[in-house]
Amino acid sequence: MTFFSDIGRFLLTLKGMFKKLENRQMYGKELIRQCTEIGFGSLGIVSIISVFIGAVSTIQTTYQLVSPLVPISTVAEIVRDTVILEFAPTLVCVVLAGVIGSRIASELGNMRVSEQIDALEIMGINTKTYLILPKIIAAMLMIPLLVIIAMALGIWGGRLAGAASGTIPPNLFDKGLMSNFIPYNVFFALIKSYVYAFILSSIPAFFGYHVRGGALEIGKASTKAVVISCVLILFADYVLSALLL
Amino acid sequence: MINVENIQKKFGDKVVIAGISAQMGVGQCNLIIGASGSGKTVLMKCMVGLLTPDQGSIYYNGNSFTTMNPASKTLIRKEIGMLFQGSALFDSLTVEENIMFPLNMFTKDSRGEKLKRVNTVLDRVNLSGINKKFPAELSGGMKKRVALARAVVLHPKYLFCDEPNSGLDPQTSLVIDKLIRDLTLEHQITTVINTHDMNSVMEIGDYILFMYQGKKEWEGTRKEIIFSKNQRLNDFIFASDFLKDAKDMRMLGETGKMPNDRDLDQMIRP
Repeated sequence: MTFFSDIGRFLLTLKGMFKKLENRQMYGKELIRQCTEIGFGSLGIVSIISVFIGAVSTIQTTYQLVSPLVPISTVAEIVRDTVILEFAPTLVCVVLAGVIGSRIASELGNMRVSEQIDALEIMGINTKTYLILPKIIAAMLMIPLLVIIAMALGIWGGRLAGAASGTIPPNLFDKGLMSNFIPYNVFFALIKSYVYAFILSSIPAFFGYHVRGGALEIGKASTKAVVISCVLILFADYVLSALLL
Repeated sequence: MINVENIQKKFGDKVVIAGISAQMGVGQCNLIIGASGSGKTVLMKCMVGLLTPDQGSIYYNGNSFTTMNPASKTLIRKEIGMLFQGSALFDSLTVEENIMFPLNMFTKDSRGEKLKRVNTVLDRVNLSGINKKFPAELSGGMKKRVALARAVVLHPKYLFCDEPNSGLDPQTSLVIDKLIRDLTLEHQITTVINTHDMNSVMEIGDYILFMYQGKKEWEGTRKEIIFSKNQRLNDFIFASDFLKDAKDMRMLGETGKMPNDRDLDQMIRP
């Protein structure tokens, strides 16, 4: 019963965001602030994860491809497709669900508990529009960009690891990268990143916005938001793969 | 002027407010007092629209707030300032940005004009020069004063203060009370204050509503409270021997005789 009532409240929260803006300039400023926090704030962790994912993929694929019948440049093809299709969008977004999701849930939860949201309501501001909508839009603008950066850095990390370990020279890696490339894979990864961006911003915003209680409840809401976001991202990954590949 | 008519509010089966009616005047400090859990905060939240009453009406200058459409409610809310118990300052903004927030949202003034208004209200609450500080750098009393400055920067017609003195020392409480009273008189605001603080009741209570278990138990002025024979009110307001003595002394001053035939010597306790 709670499950269905939560879904109902979630949909009502989303519906409540679409109201007339009191002052477009203020909302624009808030959107830019959120873009900065979500985009630039996550760039470091995304870069580190991507480079290492690419590097580990190269080393492990090389380790497993022991057949002399398979050309070594195939490693680059596998790394490229794995990074583009799965690691860059899904793994990075699961990590971002932790980083961005917990930040959104705890920020809104703290605002709720310390009556800051009530203060905005009293001023006549639609708090769902002012506090939640910019976060969702910012996530949907910045996370696909982060995923594209993750793709590039992941492949670069793989190339670097291949060269550093001596298992695959850069010229062979580059050759493998160019062969059998399917541009649709990038398009598919971007569709996934948009869906994940919505999940990892709206779910924590919902849990943070509706926190009741004190510091303990903020922590619980934050954890719940991250866990549910991660599960929904993995579920969406399966559904989108089944539908679009 | 705010009229509250027969407000009722339940949470589940628990009746929190049971048919409260009150009339709160312009240019007055209207105090809602009562023990913890008596329904003061719920009543205030109903009055400002953060909670919807199950029954009854609230009128702002004759306009029914409970039945008006959301657009009209938003207009009324722009005339409301509220000082929250925990100040509710935005943590990520400086003092200046906090106070300027409603101006940025609802006025088209230039930045210079807005800054002038911010400095005027900061000066009014005796906090000039702290524009660039963050809320975390302020004491409890300073936070309350900044929150008060933010609440009045748009010159509200109605000011709501939820326990403005909680967590403050007696001297700072008096400063906050004086500020609220002065601002109320200066701008002819209808001010509604939730409080436990007996100093506030005796200093600024132009109209006092005493709530007991969700009901209106007593109403009157701070002068009338001295002569009230309502036992629950007296037990709440004059809870300690010291306060009972203070009440009797005040009665002696007002009427020239001791209440209940008490002997003045009785009041001198070891």
